[in-house]
Order: sequence, then C-alpha cells, then structure tokens
Amino acid sequence: MSETSFPINDLLRRKLQTGLTVGSLTLCVALTVYLLLFGENVGFEISQVAEGKLTAGFSMVFSQFLFFIGLLIVVTGAVVVSFMVFVMMSQRVKDVGLMRASGCPNDLIFGYFMTELLIITFVSCSLGVIFGILADYASISLSNFLGFQILQKPINFWLVLLVFVLFFVLSVVFGVKPILDVTKVEPARAISPTYHFGLSKEPGFKVISKSGFTFRIALRSLFRRKSATIRIVLCLATVFTLITVAIAGGIIADQTTKSWVEKAVGRDIILIAHEDMCRQYESLLSKFHEAGESLQFNYTEQEYLVSEDLLNKLNAMSGIHIDTRLVVEAHVKEVPGEIIDPETGTVSSVGDNREGESLIVGVEPEKAVGEWFIEDDFLEENSEWGVVVGDSLARKMFSAPLSQSILFRGRIFYVIGVCLDPINNGNVTYVSLQVLQNAIDVSKPNVVMVRVDSANRAEILEEIETAVEDVDPEFRVFELNEVLDANLSFLGHIWSIIMFLPLLSLIAASLCLIGYVVLAIADQRRELGVLRALGIKPKTVAKIVSEQSFIILLSSFGAGVPIGIILTLLILVPEPIVTGYTVLEIAGWLLVALLVVFASSLYPIVKFARKPILEIMNQP
Amino acid sequence: MKIDKTVVSASVLCKIYEIADVNIEALKDVNLKIKKGEFVAISGPSSAGKTTLLNIIGGIDKPSSGKIVVFGRDLDVEDEDFLADFRCSNVGFVFQSYNLVSTLTVAENVAFPMEWARKPDDYIENRVGELLRIVNLEHRTDHFPHQLSGGEQQRVAFARALANDPPLLLVDEPTGNLDIKTGLKIVELLRKLKGSGKTIIVVTHDERIIEIADKKSYLEDGKLVSLDE
Repeated sequence: MSETSFPINDLLRRKLQTGLTVGSLTLCVALTVYLLLFGENVGFEISQVAEGKLTAGFSMVFSQFLFFIGLLIVVTGAVVVSFMVFVMMSQRVKDVGLMRASGCPNDLIFGYFMTELLIITFVSCSLGVIFGILADYASISLSNFLGFQILQKPINFWLVLLVFVLFFVLSVVFGVKPILDVTKVEPARAISPTYHFGLSKEPGFKVISKSGFTFRIALRSLFRRKSATIRIVLCLATVFTLITVAIAGGIIADQTTKSWVEKAVGRDIILIAHEDMCRQYESLLSKFHEAGESLQFNYTEQEYLVSEDLLNKLNAMSGIHIDTRLVVEAHVKEVPGEIIDPETGTVSSVGDNREGESLIVGVEPEKAVGEWFIEDDFLEENSEWGVVVGDSLARKMFSAPLSQSILFRGRIFYVIGVCLDPINNGNVTYVSLQVLQNAIDVSKPNVVMVRVDSANRAEILEEIETAVEDVDPEFRVFELNEVLDANLSFLGHIWSIIMFLPLLSLIAASLCLIGYVVLAIADQRRELGVLRALGIKPKTVAKIVSEQSFIILLSSFGAGVPIGIILTLLILVPEPIVTGYTVLEIAGWLLVALLVVFASSLYPIVKFARKPILEIMNQP
Repeated sequence: MKIDKTVVSASVLCKIYEIADVNIEALKDVNLKIKKGEFVAISGPSSAGKTTLLNIIGGIDKPSSGKIVVFGRDLDVEDEDFLADFRCSNVGFVFQSYNLVSTLTVAENVAFPMEWARKPDDYIENRVGELLRIVNLEHRTDHFPHQLSGGEQQRVAFARALANDPPLLLVDEPTGNLDIKTGLKIVELLRKLKGSGKTIIVVTHDERIIEIADKKSYLEDGKLVSLDE
C-alpha cells in the first residue's frame, strides 16, 4: 500500500470522525479569519485608533473585546484541534499496536498518521479561510442592506495567510504529539486500556448505591477513563470561556457602551439653535456612526448666537433645565508634560508638539445636561485653567493626556480629564463657557440644550417652540433623540454582529462534545454491548452515556463560565454596568448554550442505543 | 396433569445474514427441545452457526424465520425491553471472548448484574465473595480484566453469568482459548454446575465437556443433528 493511499482510505472509512475533525477545525479558522476581516472593515483594527467612525475609547472597548475573543478563538482552536486529533488517535491506538506487532516500522506508521494529520489540517485551514472570507462578505453586505455604511475593504491577503499558517502550524504541532506518543509505546501497551484510558481506581470493592444508579455508573466510567475525561473537560472549558466572554462580555459591553453614549448626549434633550447650527450639531453627533468629511462652518457667525431675549424667555419657563453652550472649532496644539517616576523620583518629559483641529465646547459645568464617562475629573465651576478632552483627541494628540496640557488661542490649559463622547467622534475639548467666551471674544452661546423635567413634556415643548419662533424664526427646536438613537443603534448593530460569534462558538462546542461522545461510545462500544446482553435496556444505555456527557458538560461549564465572567468584568469592560436584568439575560443565554450543546450530543447516543446488540458487540 | 418441563423449544429455525449483497444461511430449519435441568453440548465445525443458535436462544439475536420459545415465551415476537428483562432474570451468558467490562474490576464485573437487578448491598457483597470462591479467584477481586490471564477471565465470566442465579446458562466455547490444564478447571466447574438444577447449553469442541453432557448435538452448515439417537 502506498504511503498516501492508506491515510486517504483510512480517513474516508471514518467518515463521521473525519467530518467532525474537519468541521471543528474549519470553524475555528473561519471564525478567526471572519473576526479579523470584520474588525478591519468596521474600522477598529486591533490596537489601532479608529478613524472616521466610533470614538477611540469605544474603539478600544471593541478592540479589546475582539482581541480577547480572537485570542480565545485561537486558544480554543488549538485545544479543539489537539482534542480532535486525540480522538482520532485514540481510535487508532489498537491499529498502531497491531501494525507495530506485525513488523511495520515506526517511521512508516508515523508517516501514515502524519499524512492523515497534514491532509486534515490543510483541507480544514483552506476551507476555514474560504468560509471566513465569505462570512465577512455576507455580514458587510447585510449591514449595508440594513442601512449601515460599512465599507468593504479589499481582502488583506497577508492577514489571511497569517491565520492560515498559524492554524496549520498549531494543528500540526498539537496533532503530532499524540501520534508520536502512540508510536513510541510498546505494541502490547498500545492496546491496553491502562494506556489510552489512564485507567485507575480506588482500592476495595463497593456496591453501587441504588439511588441514582445510572448516574453513578456514568460517573464511575468517567473516573476510570481519566486521561480522556480530563482532556475533554479542558477542551470544553476553553470553549465555554469563549462563549461566556462572547455572551456575557457582549451583553455587558453592549449595555455599558450604550449607557456611555446615552449619558453623554442625554436622553430627551432638546437642542435650540439656528437651523444651520442644528444641522451642524446633528452632523457632529452623527460622526459617531457615519463616516464623513467635515465641512467648513463658521460657528461664531453673528446670526448663530443665541439672543439675550430668547435666553430670558427660556429662563422664565418652569420645569426645564437649561444648559447653554458655545461650540467652536479651533486649532489646538499638544503641550508636553512631565511625569515623575514614583520609585526613582526622576522626572521625565512626556508628549510632543502635535497639532490639529478640535471642536471646542464651552459649558457651564454645574449646568451640563450630559454625564460623561470620565477618566479623572470633569470641569468644576469657574475652572479657568482646566479642560476635558474627548477620547479620540486624547489618543490622537497626546501621549499621557492627564500629565499634559493643550494650547489654543494662545492659552495653555491643563488636561484634567478624558471623556467618552460621541460628538465630533470624540475629537472635542470641553472648557468653561466663560473662559471660552473670553478667549474668542464672543459673549453669547450658540446652542442651548434643554432638558424637560416636568411630566407635561408636550405642552412645555410647544411653549418653547412658540418662544423660539417669536424671537427668531430662523432658530429651531431640535430633538436629539433621533441622532442619539441612530448612534445607539449603530453600537447595537456592531454588538449584534459580534454576538454572532457565540453562535459559531456554540457550534464548535457542540462538535467538540459530539466528538467526545463518539469517542466515548467507540471506547465503550463492546462494554455497552455486553451490558445490553446482560439485560440492560437500550434506553438505559442511552441514559448512562447521556449522563456521562452531561457530567462532562457541567464540569466544563462550571470551570469555563467563571473564568469567562472574570475576564469580562476585570479586563474587558471598564466600570461595567450590570443590572439584575443583565444577569438574568446572561444566565438565560448561557443556559441555552448548555442545553444546545447537550442536545447536540444526544444524536450519536440515540443512534447508538438503537443498534442491535450483535452489531454493537461485533463492530471493530 | 402433565407438567411441561420444556425450557427451550425451537422449530424450523432459520437465520440468514446478508453480508455485502451475499446471503449466508447460518441456521437451516433447526428443531430443538431442551428440558429443565438438562446439560446440552452442541459441537460442530467453525462457522456452522453454533454461536448464532446460542444468541437466538438467549434473545440477543432474532431468527429470520421459525419459532423460538424459551420458558414459554415466544422470543421472536418480543420487543427489546422485554428481552432485556428476560435476559437479566433468566439467562446467564458466558461468551467465547469473555466480554468482561474492561473498566470494571473482577468484583465489579461479577456484581454488576446483581446491582442492575437491584439486589440488596449485603447480598451482593456476600454473593460476589461466594462466586469468586467457587471460581478460585477471591484473591483477584480488585484487578482489572486486562491484568488477568485468559483462563482467569473465563472464570470471571462464569461467575458473572451465575450472579443472578439464572435457570438457563448459555456457554460459548468455554475452553476454546485455554490450554489443557486451565481448560480442565472450566470442565470441573461445569461438572459442578450440572447438578445444580440449571439448564446448561454449551457450544464446544472439547470432548471432556461433550462427555459430561446429557444431550449431544452436532451442527454443520446450519443444520442440527442429534448425536444421541
């Protein structure tokens, strides 16, 4: 038999097992390719500051999230591949023993099974790359069909090649070990249950308790097959960690990031400004979800300024909260700062002299309707020398923003905080209204934000509209909810696409467990057949095997979920927002994941239990 | 009133296997009657259908045609759940290749049929000890099957078959894989069992076992011939 015909025939004869291995590995490669291409397309490549859409702070959350998922997918891929190869090799242990006993040289046996491994990994990696690219095309097309503008970039060939090579090498490295192990042991040991089960037991004979009889049989069987059981628990625990990070992390990050946007803009906030200014403000807020070039706009045009008359009328109304702002655009420059090493006490300079354009918003800190997610502090009343910069500006123009200053209009301001804000996509600087007015010599604000505190919202809104119309017909009352919702919807959409990953992880977990069940059944085939012959009913055999699979699943679940939760809460999302509903939602999805994986493992069990006894016992 | 003591009754029993589009007739019109307490030896060349006949009598295989009645029950019409209960309480199997559960120790292998039959713990512990004493393996209680010799595994298989004290014992080539000395121990064991009132059907080539049988039959090309007439 030629060196290639044996492996090909062997793989084709084990259709289910070959299919499972190829399926799992393909899925891992496809997930990774899809994730990286998708990340590139939506504009938040890992460890890069996003340009165009999403503020840098939000991009960081996504990037970190995607990075961890990517990392876990790579780890899961490696573990799944290793496990699947272990499954493959466990079922060949006897063949290897017999081949060696009949005089087949070690290098030839190694060559046969190495060829099998290379065929499987090459086919899987190639299919994975193809499916990953197709999934990326499909999700971008779907996004655009649904009205979200995500550009389809040309495929990054090098990135795809990197994933292919990485998985191919990982698969071969992990896969080759069990092959080497099997070919190294003596033929007699290779066919001994002590070798491939890690068979051991506690001393003494003890009758199995009558309560939970089948469960105890299942448990005993798992304990006796120590090495196989440990491997599957480790494998599935990794998969459940991935699922938990994807589900819990996704849900928590989704709610947290939405809350950041909603609080920064404010819910049910009304903008009062000149109609051109309204459009400009809307466009500034929309930059979070719509990439676009900034047009020249003269914010301090006389007609855009809010008159004293209008302000007086608004101030006279009850049940509303008024936040007057002066919005301008200015050339800003980074000012290097100094940082002190806490251990050595040495002072070193940080930063450069980078410069660029930034939106400058003058606010009265105590009256601001927004509530930003802030690193360090927001402005205080009469804060003359401090500014808060948006996250994108902070990342684009500063090295250590909180130790540096910013220069505009000839004045230097200390950066006292960094906020997450969707306006102008985070390229913003908040400063005291009074200070800004003095700096640019403009005495009036150009926008008024109004929050209606009264329950009688419609009536008050009408009153405001009438007042605005009376004072200046070119001024508009504009509700920010629409643009806020568009921003939230964009965030939700990205998360919903990312949440597609748990589904794929779930398929990987199911395939993994089916692989284990196939292995467990193959290992126990003869024994289960004997039990049937001794008088155990088919449904009881199915119960024993399904209880084994449930124990495995529960152990993996118990190990994987807490790790996933810890990763999510400690590393992935800063200051996560976790409500009772969030916990319930996460618990519900994880439970569904557990049940789906368990249900999928029942197929081979039921199929096996229905077979006639002699077919079970006599099959090699 | 006449009491029917027939334990096994087979009439015009046929079994055809279809392997790779080829029909292989394992049993051809087999007729058989075995009474309670009888020791029956069935011999014959390899592939004659001996194991197939034993499997059909034990309810782990079904005939293609004909009728098989064991303890008054028509086994070819019963479903798998009934047959499972039937095997558990009426039949003790000793397979040619022992078929011990490799992840269970000697004691656990013997205990399993009793555990499954929900016998009391004390009873199981005592019975395991008693059976292992009968087969001279009380010193191998905690060993796994792969740590035993072929003869020892065969004796564990006997102990397991006797665990629930079944009225019918089906034994397939008990000495086929053993040397003369070890085989003798199995023959002695069968001799002891002969007087226990159990109905014993042994498929064997071993003259020593055939000699102690009450009835002797020969199966060739699927056809059963009595050697007693």
